[in-house]
Amino acid sequence: MSPWATKGMLSRVKTTHYPDRIDSSDGMTPGRPSDTALRNNVINFGCPTSAIEETASGVSVDFRRCVHCFHCARPADVALPWTTDYEWAKKINTTNSPWKENRLAFRHSISVLVVDSGDCGACLSELKQLSKPYYNFHRLGYFVTPTPRHADVLLVVGPVTDNMRLPLLRAYEGIPEPRKVVAIGACALMGGVFGPSFTSSAGVADLIPVNVEVAGCPPPPAAILHALNVATGRDQHTSEFEAKPTGLDHVGQ
Amino acid sequence: MWDNSILLSLFFLLCVAGSVIALLAPDRLQIRSMAGIAIVAASVLIIWSVVGFLSGNVHDSPFWGVPFLGAMILHVDPLASWFILITAIVFFAVSLYSFDYMKRHRGDYGVRAFSVFYHLLFASIVFTLLSGDIVSFLVAWETMTIFSYLLVNYDHEVEENSRAAYIMLAMSEAGTISAAFGFLILGAAAGSFEFSAIRSAQHVLTDTARWAVFLLSFFGFGVKAGLAPVNVWLPRAHPAAPANVSALLSAVILNLGIYGIVRVNMDLLPVSHSAQGMIVLAFGTLSAVMGILYATKENDLKKMLAHSSIENMGIVIAGIGAGFVFMTEGVPSLAGIAFIAAFYHMTNHSMYKGLLFLTSGTVDAQAKTRDMNRLGGLIHGMPWTSGAFLVGALSIAALPPFNGFVSEWLTLQSFLQSFTLSSRGLKIEFVLCGALLALTAALAVTCFVKAFAMSFLGPSRSENAKNAVDPGRSSKMAHALLAIICLGLGILPTYCIPAIDSMVSPLTRYHAIDELVPPFFSAPQGNEKFSGSFMRDFQNIGAQVGQEVLPGRGLVIMHRGLQRNPVVFAMAPSYTFVMLIVLVGGTFLFVRAMTKKRQRRRAATWMGGLRTLTSNMTYSATGFSNPVRVIFSGIFHPSVAQETRHAVESHFRTALIQEHEETHILERWFFYPIANGLQQFSRKLALLHSGKVNVYAAYMLTTLIILLSLNWIN
Amino acid sequence: MQIHNAIAHLTQHLVDRMGEKISSVSADESRGEFVINCTFSSLPEICGALFNNLHYSFATMIVEESLPIRYIFYGDGIVVHVLTTMSERDRTLPSLTGQFHAADWHEREAEDLWGINFKGHPRLGEFVLHEEWPDGVNPMRPSFDGHKPYPHRQIDSRWQPATILQAEGSFLMPIGPIFSDFAESAHFLLETVGEDVLHTIPRFFYKYRGVEKIAENKSVSDVLLLAERFAGTSAFAHSLAFCHAVERLCSISVPWRATALRIFLAELERIRHHVAGIAGICSSTGLAVATSQMSVLEEELLRLTCTLTGHRYFFGMNVIGGLPQDISDDAVKSAVMRLSQIVGELNLLFDMLKVSGSFLDRIEEVGIVTEEKARSLGLVGPIARASGVPIDLRTSLPYGGYATAPQLSVPQESEGDGYARLRVLMQEIESSGTIISRITAKMPDGPVKAGAIRFVSGSALGWSEAPLGASFHWIRIDKNGTVLRYRITPPSFTNWLGFHAAAENFAFQDFPIIMATFGLSNAECDR
Repeated sequence: MSPWATKGMLSRVKTTHYPDRIDSSDGMTPGRPSDTALRNNVINFGCPTSAIEETASGVSVDFRRCVHCFHCARPADVALPWTTDYEWAKKINTTNSPWKENRLAFRHSISVLVVDSGDCGACLSELKQLSKPYYNFHRLGYFVTPTPRHADVLLVVGPVTDNMRLPLLRAYEGIPEPRKVVAIGACALMGGVFGPSFTSSAGVADLIPVNVEVAGCPPPPAAILHALNVATGRDQHTSEFEAKPTGLDHVGQ
Repeated sequence: MWDNSILLSLFFLLCVAGSVIALLAPDRLQIRSMAGIAIVAASVLIIWSVVGFLSGNVHDSPFWGVPFLGAMILHVDPLASWFILITAIVFFAVSLYSFDYMKRHRGDYGVRAFSVFYHLLFASIVFTLLSGDIVSFLVAWETMTIFSYLLVNYDHEVEENSRAAYIMLAMSEAGTISAAFGFLILGAAAGSFEFSAIRSAQHVLTDTARWAVFLLSFFGFGVKAGLAPVNVWLPRAHPAAPANVSALLSAVILNLGIYGIVRVNMDLLPVSHSAQGMIVLAFGTLSAVMGILYATKENDLKKMLAHSSIENMGIVIAGIGAGFVFMTEGVPSLAGIAFIAAFYHMTNHSMYKGLLFLTSGTVDAQAKTRDMNRLGGLIHGMPWTSGAFLVGALSIAALPPFNGFVSEWLTLQSFLQSFTLSSRGLKIEFVLCGALLALTAALAVTCFVKAFAMSFLGPSRSENAKNAVDPGRSSKMAHALLAIICLGLGILPTYCIPAIDSMVSPLTRYHAIDELVPPFFSAPQGNEKFSGSFMRDFQNIGAQVGQEVLPGRGLVIMHRGLQRNPVVFAMAPSYTFVMLIVLVGGTFLFVRAMTKKRQRRRAATWMGGLRTLTSNMTYSATGFSNPVRVIFSGIFHPSVAQETRHAVESHFRTALIQEHEETHILERWFFYPIANGLQQFSRKLALLHSGKVNVYAAYMLTTLIILLSLNWIN
Repeated sequence: MQIHNAIAHLTQHLVDRMGEKISSVSADESRGEFVINCTFSSLPEICGALFNNLHYSFATMIVEESLPIRYIFYGDGIVVHVLTTMSERDRTLPSLTGQFHAADWHEREAEDLWGINFKGHPRLGEFVLHEEWPDGVNPMRPSFDGHKPYPHRQIDSRWQPATILQAEGSFLMPIGPIFSDFAESAHFLLETVGEDVLHTIPRFFYKYRGVEKIAENKSVSDVLLLAERFAGTSAFAHSLAFCHAVERLCSISVPWRATALRIFLAELERIRHHVAGIAGICSSTGLAVATSQMSVLEEELLRLTCTLTGHRYFFGMNVIGGLPQDISDDAVKSAVMRLSQIVGELNLLFDMLKVSGSFLDRIEEVGIVTEEKARSLGLVGPIARASGVPIDLRTSLPYGGYATAPQLSVPQESEGDGYARLRVLMQEIESSGTIISRITAKMPDGPVKAGAIRFVSGSALGWSEAPLGASFHWIRIDKNGTVLRYRITPPSFTNWLGFHAAAENFAFQDFPIIMATFGLSNAECDR
C-alpha cells in the first residue's frame, strides 16, 4: 500500500466537534474584548479603530471595528476582560438587505465562492483552514467553487479595493438567487485599518448588500464556520440581528 | 423518348446560347444573364435526368461521325443520369448563388469571360458523362479540364492563384494521359472505340492488360478525384478559385474522377482480382486520413474544405474498393451495399460541400478574410449563413439527422461485414482501414466543430468580421436549397437508396435493395427472405407505422444476415428525426413549463472578474487544433523558426516571433521527389542538344539504324 | 571590522574610481551606512557599478516630494544610500533598468504613484494603477487627498494588453483576478498557441490599498498596525522591520530578553509560513494526504502561536522598543517542546515527500530560475537561495540580535527549479528549529520593553528577513512621532518581478505548481 495512504489512515481524527458542541481547544481563537460595567477609573485604552466607547452604563465594544490590537488587553492594571468565544457571526436585516430565511433552498450542499477583495492574507489563510482536516467544512456540505454560476454563498474578505470593485460586483451579479453574502473580517465590515481611503471602501456593504457579518481580524476558522451556518439557516441559536446604519447608496452603480 | 432528347438538346442549346449572349450582352446585364440562363439550363437538365432516371432505360444514340475514329455516341444509362442529376442540382444552386456573389468581381475583371467559360464547362461536364465512346469522352474530358482551369485561374492577378491553377492543369493532363493509355489498351483489345464494343470484349484481355488498365485508369482518374498521393493540386486549386467555382470543383468535378474510375472498372472492364479492390480500399483510406488530418490543422476556411474534400473522396473510394473486394470475393449483396454507401456518400458530399463552399464564399466576401483566427462571432451578423454552414458542418461531421451520417454509417457497416470474407489478409486490411476511417470520422467532428466555433461563435477577432452581414436573397436561397437537400437526404434515405440501387444493380447485377430496405409494406407472401413471422415481429415493434400514408418500401434501413443472426444492422433515420424533434421539443417545453414561474435575471458571462475580455483572450483556431498538430507531428513535421527581440535587454522582450513552416507530407514524400527527378532527367536530356548540325545528323542516322535492325529482327 | 573593511573597499573601488561623478560621500561606521550624493546624470553609472561590479544588492528606491531620491543598496554588512535630485521642472530621472532589472518595478511604481518619468524605461504605465486610472493623477504626491474615495471610472473598452508573442493563432489565456479556490486576487495572461505557454504577463495591484499613502501623517503606533497588517501571514517579520527602523532612528536599545523573544517568534512565524507553503505545493500537485498532514501541522502551529501570543498571526506582538508583554519561561519551554515535536513530524513527512516519485516528477525542472537571472532580477529569500544566490539578511546584514545569535547556516540549492525551492523551504524549517532551540536554551532575564521613547525627527531604514525574503521598511518621522513618509519593500514585490522568468515555455498544467513553489503573497506585493 502506498506510504501516503498508510500515513493518512494511521493519523488520528483531528476534526473539531464544532458545530455539534463547542470546541474550546487552546489557540482556536484570539478572543475579543467584552462589554463591561461602568468603572471608576475611566482610562483611555488608545483603541486605534475607536471600537471602544464609554457610555453611561459602562464600556461598550463595537466588535465590527475591533482589530485585536490588544491595546485594551495588555495594560496590567486596567485591562478589559476578553472572552474566548468565536460564535461571532451576525445576521443583517436592513432595508437594503432584508433578511430572508432560505432554509429550504440551502438544505443541501452549499457552494461557496470566495472573493479576495484586498485582504492581508490572514482572513484568506483562516478560510483556507476550513477546507483542511481540523475544521473540514466539507463534512457539513460546504464546497468551494471558482465560479459564481455555481455559488450559493459569496464570502468576501478585504476592504474592497478600487481595483477589486468591479470583479466583486460582477461576481455578485453572477450568483443566482437565492444567495447570501457573508462579509468576513474587520476590513470587509468597515474597512479595517485600511479604509475608507482613496483606494479602499469602507467595507463590502458599501458596494453590495451583506447578509451576514463576522467580525474579527481575522475571524478564526470556527467563526467563519459559524457564519456559514448562520447564512444557510443551519445555526438555530443565532437569531439576533445586527442593526446597523449602512449607507448603501452605491448599490447598483 | 423523343421528348427527353429534346430536353437534352434544349440544355445544350441553352449552354451555347448562354456563352453567345455573354459575348454580346452589355456589362450591366452580364451577371443576370449568366446566372439566369444557367438556372434555366440546370432546371431543364434536372427534369431530363429525373425523367430519364425514372424511366431507367439505357440507350445509345450516335450523333457525329468522325473520320477514321468511328462515330461519337451519346450513351444514357442510370449511372450517367445520376451523376448528371447531381451536377444539375449543384449548378442550379451555384448559379442562384452567383447572382449575388459575382457582383464583387464586377469591378476587377469582366464577368464576360467567366460567363462563357461557365456555360461551356457546364456543357462539357454533361457531355463527358454522356459520352459513349473513347474519343468523345476524351474530347469532352479535355474541354472540361481546360475550362475548369480557366475558371480557377479567373482571379489571375494573384500570383499564387495562377500557380495553383497551373499545377492543377499539369496534373490533370498527366492523369488524362494515363487514363487515355488505359482506354487505348481497351480500345485496341476491342478493336473499337465504342464503349458497347469494349464491354463485350472483356474476355480478350490478358491478366497483365487488365492490371494495366486498372492501374492506369485508377490513378489517372484518381488525379481528378483527389486521390492521395496524386492530389497535390487540389488543396492549392480549390481555395484559389472564386467560391462558386470552388463549389463546382468540389461538388461536381471531383465526382467526374469517381465516374471515370467506376465507368472503367465497374462497367467497361469489371475488376477481376481482389487485390485490385484492396489497392482501391487502401488508397481511399489513405486519402481520407491524410485529408482530414490536414483539414483539422488548417485555419484557412477554404483550404480546410479542400482538404476535407480529399477526405470525403477518400471515403467514397474506400467504399468503392470495399465493393470491388466483395464483388471479386463473390458476396454481391455486400458489394451492393458498399457501392450504395459509396455513391450515397458521393451524393451527400456534393450537396454539403457545395453548401459549405458557398457559405465560406459568403464569409470571405463579407468578412474579407478566410482565416479562422481572424473570424469569429459571425453568427450575430449573418445568422442565415451561419445556420447554413452549421447544417453543412453537421452533415459533413456525420451527425444525425443529416445526410453524412447515413452514408458514413453504411460505409462502416459494410466494412464490419468483412468478417464474412475468407481471406485473412483481406480481413486484416478491412480492420485497419475501418479503424482509420473511424479515426477520420472522429477527426472530422473536431475539424468542423473548430470551423464552426472559431468562425461563427465567440467574439469577433477582426473589425471586418464584426461588421459582416448576411448576403442577398439569392445567396440565401442557394444556401437554403442545399441545406434542405442535406436534411432530406439524411431523413429519407429509404427513398434515395432504391434510386442509387437502380444505378448500381446493372453494374453489380444484383439488387442489394432487398438487403438494405426491406419492403415491409409490399413483401409478397411466402418470400423466403421475409418470412411471415419475421415480418410480424417487425410490424409489432412499429415498422408498419405510416403504411397508409407513406408510399415506398418503408422507413427502416436493415441488413439481413443468416437465420442465426436475422438482423445484422438496422436504423431508421426518419424515426430518429421524429424522435429527435419530440425529445428536444419535449425537453424544451418541459423546462419552459418548469421554470415559467421562476424569476429571471440576466448576468454577464463570468470571465474571472476581468474588466474587459479582448478578442485575443479567447481560444484561437490554431489553439483548438493544436492537440492534433502535436499528436500527429510526425506526419506534419513542422519546422519552427523562433526569434526574440528586446527593447533594453533580455528582460524586456518586445517580440517573440514564431514561424511554423511545413510541407504537405505527400509533397514531401511523393510530389517533390518525382518533380526533382524529372527535372534532373530533363537536364540530362538537354545535354543531347548541343546545337551542332552534324550531331543531329548522327542522331538521325543512329535512329535509322536501330529501326532497321529492329525490323530485321522481327 | 567587517563594516570597516566594507567601507574601505567601497571607497577604494567606487569613490576613488569615479570621484568626479560623485558630489559628496559620507560614511557612518557605527550605523553601517554609506551615503553617496550624485547628480542624476551619473546615477546609472554609479548604481550600475554598485550592483554589477561590486555585487551589492538593490534594496529599494525611495521617492519623497521635494527631497532627494534615494536608492538603497546593501551587502558586506553595510547599507549604501545613493542620493540624487531630479529636476523639478520635467520630473525626469534616468532609468536604471538598463543597468540591472531589479529596478524595473520600482521605477514603474514611482511613475504611476509619483508621476516621475524614467527616461529609457521601455514599459511604463498601467502598473499599480490600472488602465482606467486617469493619467497625471499621482496618488502619492502630497497634493492628492488620500482619505477621500477617488471617483469611479468607466471601463476603457479599447484597452489591449501588451503582448509579445507573434505567431499564427497565438492567443491569451486569461486567469483571474478571481480564480481558483482560495487564491489571492491577481491576473495572469498566458501567451500561447495551444498547450505550451510561451510567456506570462502577470498583472498585480488588484489589492492595492495604498498603505504608504494612508500611513502618512499618522502616529508611529498607528502605522505599526498597518505594518503588521498589510501582509497578515508574515505580520511579525514586517512589524519587526518597522520597529527596527524606528528603534534605529530614535536610538532605542531593545532589552536582551525582547531581542531573544523576537528571534524566537520570527523563526516560529517562518516555520508556520513555510509549512503553509509546502502544503500549497503538495496541493498544487494533487498530493492530498501530504496536503492534509501539512495543514494539520499548520493549524497546530497557529494554535501554538495563539496560546503563546494571544493571536494566531502574531498581531499586536511588536511594539516600538520591544514586546508589549513578556512570555513566561514556562510558556516558552512548553512551546519549544511542542514545536520540536512538530518539526520532528515535519521531518518524517519531508522524508516521505522526497521519495514520492509522482510528486517529484511534477515539481522537478519546473519553473526554473537560473542563478544569472536571479541575480540580475535581484531576487531575495528562499527563491533566490534555491537558485544559488546565498542572500539572507540574517547573515548578510545582521539585525536585532542575529549578529550575536548562535551560528546560522543559510540553506542553499543551485538548480533553481520547483524542487530546489521546496528543499530550501524544508531546510529552513530545520534551521529555524535549531535557532529556536539554541536561543531559548539560555533566555536572558529582564524587561521586554525599553523605557520611555523620545522620537527624533529624521529617516531610517529597518529590515528583517521575512519568511519570503528581505523586507525593507523605510520611514521619515518628525519629532512628535508622526510618520511623514513610509516606504515598504516587501519580498513579494521583489520576487514577483522574477516570476515571468520562471513562467515561460511550460505546459499549462504546470502553472499552479510554479505559482505554489514561488509561494508569494499578493497582499504583501500590492500593499
